Amino acid sequence: MTSFSDDLVDGPTASRADPRKPLRFHWSLSQAGNPFRRATQTEQTSGIPAFQAQLELCRFADEYRIDSVLMAIGFARPDPIVLSAALGRKTQRVKFMVACRPGLISPTSFVQQINTLSLLLEGRVHVNLVGEHTPRELRYYGDWLPREGRCSRLDEFLTVCRAFWAEEGGEVNFSGTYFHIEGGRLNTPFSIGGRHGPEIYLGGNSEQSAALAIRHADCLWRFAEPPGRLAPAIAPVVRSGTEVGLLVSLIGRSTRDEAVLAARDLVERLGDSAHDAQLNFERHTDAAAFRSTFALARSCDTGWATSNLWIGAVPFLGAPAIALVGAADEIADTLLEYKAIGVTQFLFTGWPDDKEMTFFGEKIAPLVRERERIEAHA
Amino acid sequence: MIAPLRFHWRLIQGGDVTGKITRDRVASEAALPEIAAQTAFCREAEQLGIDSVLVDIGVGKPDPIVLAMVLATATDRLKFMVAHRPGLMSPTLFVQQVNTFSTLASGRITLNFVAGHSPAEQLYYGDNLPHDERYERMREYLTICRRLWSGETIVDFAGRHYRIEAGRGRTPFVAPDRQAPEVYLGGGSGSAREVASELADCWLRFGDTVENIARESAPVLVNGSEVGLRIACVTRPTRCEAVRVARALLESREIHRRRESEAAFVKGSDSESVRHVYELGESEWLGGCIWAGAVRALGATSIALVGTPGDVANEILKFRQVGISQFILHGWPKWEEMRIFCREVLPLLKSSH
Repeated sequence: MTSFSDDLVDGPTASRADPRKPLRFHWSLSQAGNPFRRATQTEQTSGIPAFQAQLELCRFADEYRIDSVLMAIGFARPDPIVLSAALGRKTQRVKFMVACRPGLISPTSFVQQINTLSLLLEGRVHVNLVGEHTPRELRYYGDWLPREGRCSRLDEFLTVCRAFWAEEGGEVNFSGTYFHIEGGRLNTPFSIGGRHGPEIYLGGNSEQSAALAIRHADCLWRFAEPPGRLAPAIAPVVRSGTEVGLLVSLIGRSTRDEAVLAARDLVERLGDSAHDAQLNFERHTDAAAFRSTFALARSCDTGWATSNLWIGAVPFLGAPAIALVGAADEIADTLLEYKAIGVTQFLFTGWPDDKEMTFFGEKIAPLVRERERIEAHA
Repeated sequence: MIAPLRFHWRLIQGGDVTGKITRDRVASEAALPEIAAQTAFCREAEQLGIDSVLVDIGVGKPDPIVLAMVLATATDRLKFMVAHRPGLMSPTLFVQQVNTFSTLASGRITLNFVAGHSPAEQLYYGDNLPHDERYERMREYLTICRRLWSGETIVDFAGRHYRIEAGRGRTPFVAPDRQAPEVYLGGGSGSAREVASELADCWLRFGDTVENIARESAPVLVNGSEVGLRIACVTRPTRCEAVRVARALLESREIHRRRESEAAFVKGSDSESVRHVYELGESEWLGGCIWAGAVRALGATSIALVGTPGDVANEILKFRQVGISQFILHGWPKWEEMRIFCREVLPLLKSSH
């Protein structure tokens, strides 16, 4: 396998970041219907999907032109592919960003499931690859590979998947350390007359994740950081033409004061049990992304990393709770500030999701679009 | 005590509605879901009293659990017998997929485990285990699945193919009357029968003479598992007409290519029953109204009960006498035959109970 650094310019060509392109917005779905997401130990959450609540959020997403909803993966959740099939048939426009752990399924089987889902949902499928997680949980599934191995396995997995999704088609042959595919073919395509494969997202704050994203993905997900810190970290990815997206919570209200109050209120409501749940998770994860965000949270006494970027909830709710807090115009400004350093997509979480998505769709998104129009004509 | 008779039907595939016989064993139309027609077919199956529809697996087909999930959202009572080849995903992940399905469709999922019948096709998926080891792996896989469904909160397992530590999932199997999905296991070899007796609710096999079926089923029945037949039927008002319809299948313009494609498939297959049934195809009839005339062109599943409703019902009762309790059927034309069977044959079987 070639080393990652040799391949900095070898990303997929279809996804060059373009400042004139409008920002794309996605939303995390999996905990819809649970107002205390992540505030409980995963041991206590129910794996039975809150189908009606999730369907309602998907329909909001349809209405507010959210590009896709993230269907996360984990032992405490329903299976994202099967759940997407059920939700997708009852929605029209929103896409499903299906998470996958590459060690748990043959890449050929995965492509066959994704292609089937896509054909049934008119191509409304992205995939989100997860390489980093808690080794303890992976062993529930029979996956014992140490972290270093997981990275090169993910590389092989995506190489095989992308060969099945390649425009030119043909037999897939691959021989690596983890996968050996001979004469591979699948008759079920990703779409008829549309894309040949899904957009590929890949998450992680480590350099290895960045290299893998450059090599294979359309977009790298990172947790939010202050723009000044983020810009140099993502520069090589942006230069390579792979997009960069941010995972961040939203707490938007009519005024900044209200938003700050809502943020503080969140921490008070969730209290110590949430803190314990997070410490427990942090202790067992080997994901660089989670650890670096926890470190950022501990290094910052005030709870504010910038005037809008609030990390006060991270000790309680985890890295995904790093939040943009403020009035609609402040948040719109911040999103465009990130756009200026090369960020093109956002994956939001709300507390709770339905209210936050409504505020975003009605107050924030129109401001973003208006400013983008002005910039395009400037 | 013999379990009550149950009838399942194979889901129609893309391209089936046109009724054409394709020249290749792996027809490309079959790989595209035809969701409107398949949904209408499922709704009718449900009304006609079919227990479940079989959703096939293979390189030429859409993924069965994803397709079945979508069909389940459009039906109320019908079950989906989802085919699955163990070895291509983690058993814990598979249980999670099945359980998620169950929570979204009131438990209307059953499973049809198959070991795969073509070493070349297994390699497309990165699987290079030989025949007998695939069954050994299936035994481990199914053992893990069973334990996850049994209500054990944490499953530890160490075998040759799988090592699970503290395996668990938060999403339970949800059904009004069961804690685990019904498991069917298909395959004609000794290994298949053994694993089926041990771990499945029902052993599935292709059609054959009544005597062969009786002999091979006995040890499975003794162990308490059911036995089911995957077989076709062509039912018409007169025997003459039924035979004409069956033989007409071989008059398709594509049939020569299909014979070549089937011969190549059998040659490359390591499935004992695929090869055995191909041998049977030398004779046109296997006794009674059991027809093997299309086997060498259309494969092992094309062994068919051909005759009047009375002929077909009688043959089913003969199988019943040797212990067969479930039938996975299909016929020609693929949709119409389900209607004929349910309207003409099922009532005869009910009245003879």
